Amino acid sequence: MAALSKHFDTLVGALSPELYRYALGLCRNQDVAQDLVQETFLRAWRSQQTLRDIKTARAWLYTILRNEHARLYERQRPEVRDPHLLPEVPVQGYDTRTEAFALRRALDQLDEQYREPLLLQVIGGFSCKEIGRMLSLKPNTVLTRLFRARKMLRDRLDEEGREKQHGLP
Amino acid sequence: MDCLEFRRLLLQDPYRAEPELLQHESGCAECAHYAARIRQQEASLRSLLNAPAPPPELAENIRLGARMERRSGYVRRVWMSAAASLLIGISISMFMLFDQQQARGNMLLARSVIHHIEDEAGHLREPGPASPDRVRAVLARFGAELVGDLGPVRFAAECVMRKRTGVHLVLSGEQGPVTAFMMPGEHADSPIPIDSTRFHGEIIPTEWGVLAVVGERGEVIAPIATRLARSVHWPQGSRLSAQTPLAAHLARLGIHSPRTL
Repeated sequence: MAALSKHFDTLVGALSPELYRYALGLCRNQDVAQDLVQETFLRAWRSQQTLRDIKTARAWLYTILRNEHARLYERQRPEVRDPHLLPEVPVQGYDTRTEAFALRRALDQLDEQYREPLLLQVIGGFSCKEIGRMLSLKPNTVLTRLFRARKMLRDRLDEEGREKQHGLP
Repeated sequence: MDCLEFRRLLLQDPYRAEPELLQHESGCAECAHYAARIRQQEASLRSLLNAPAPPPELAENIRLGARMERRSGYVRRVWMSAAASLLIGISISMFMLFDQQQARGNMLLARSVIHHIEDEAGHLREPGPASPDRVRAVLARFGAELVGDLGPVRFAAECVMRKRTGVHLVLSGEQGPVTAFMMPGEHADSPIPIDSTRFHGEIIPTEWGVLAVVGERGEVIAPIATRLARSVHWPQGSRLSAQTPLAAHLARLGIHSPRTL
């Protein structure tokens, strides 16, 4: 059993920002994302005896957060904010450029099965093997999904660009 | 590597840098242009996803939550151990109470048997014999049937013990009279030995009630109990509980068929 309690404060400081971003990517709601991160650390604290090696704590926390998100969806579907709207509460680092809104919308339109591995790769920096372990997928399936996710993003952004060129809303 | 493969790999991870990939990129203008667009899109994506910062209080709230959890965990553990101790205490008390009640119940039943014999000591002096018809008639009142030879029966009657009616028999033993009580509906959890200054015997639980066989000190009870078991059939089926030497002895003799005793 790894001594999570000894490293807990450090882990919170180091990992809560990226876990928050991952949560935000999953639920697209800042309040829910905050709750998810808090609940993730609380669950980690309660079940710290299941963590065998502190080195795997990061992937472990991502998995807990993902499970928490799935559990939340079982109970209720959190309100997803329209990506074209500014957040009600100012979020530090919130990109307000037109391209950012377009990208956000394209991301939102991605099916969960494509968005999840993409978030884990881009935010968590996990390899396809690690993502495969976290999502219970074969590495090749992860690669296929990453390929499709980016292709769909690019297609939608291209489409949006064409619509703008033709004066479509 | 062809263009299709290059683009497939690039979309899996736009920042991968295998030599083959870079070689194709430097030799194919269209793919180099495609790669530039994809990397630009990737840069925007990474910037978009990695930009939001959590509220400053988030980390502190998490730490606070963990501290509360630690404290409540401690309090919970204290309460749990207190509750566990209490539960164990109650269980032990209940067990002791139950055990005491059972022992008390056994003692009262044994005492009732002795008192009944002493109160009706005159029956021990009955010269007998009671006729087989008389015995049949008494047994018939309880639906039981005499199917064998009980040996010399000095006395047979219906009697009342502990507010229940039963069969009171006095048989002849080696040391003197042997009293047998057949008490339908009476209950004993386990065999109860009977010992007094004068008498000794045993109360044996059966499915229909209890059988008490009591003789003078030194009397061998088992053969008489065997005779009783073999010679009387009860209507609703009964079985001796083979938990005592006597019951085990009867069981060994095969006297535990559903209709026997």
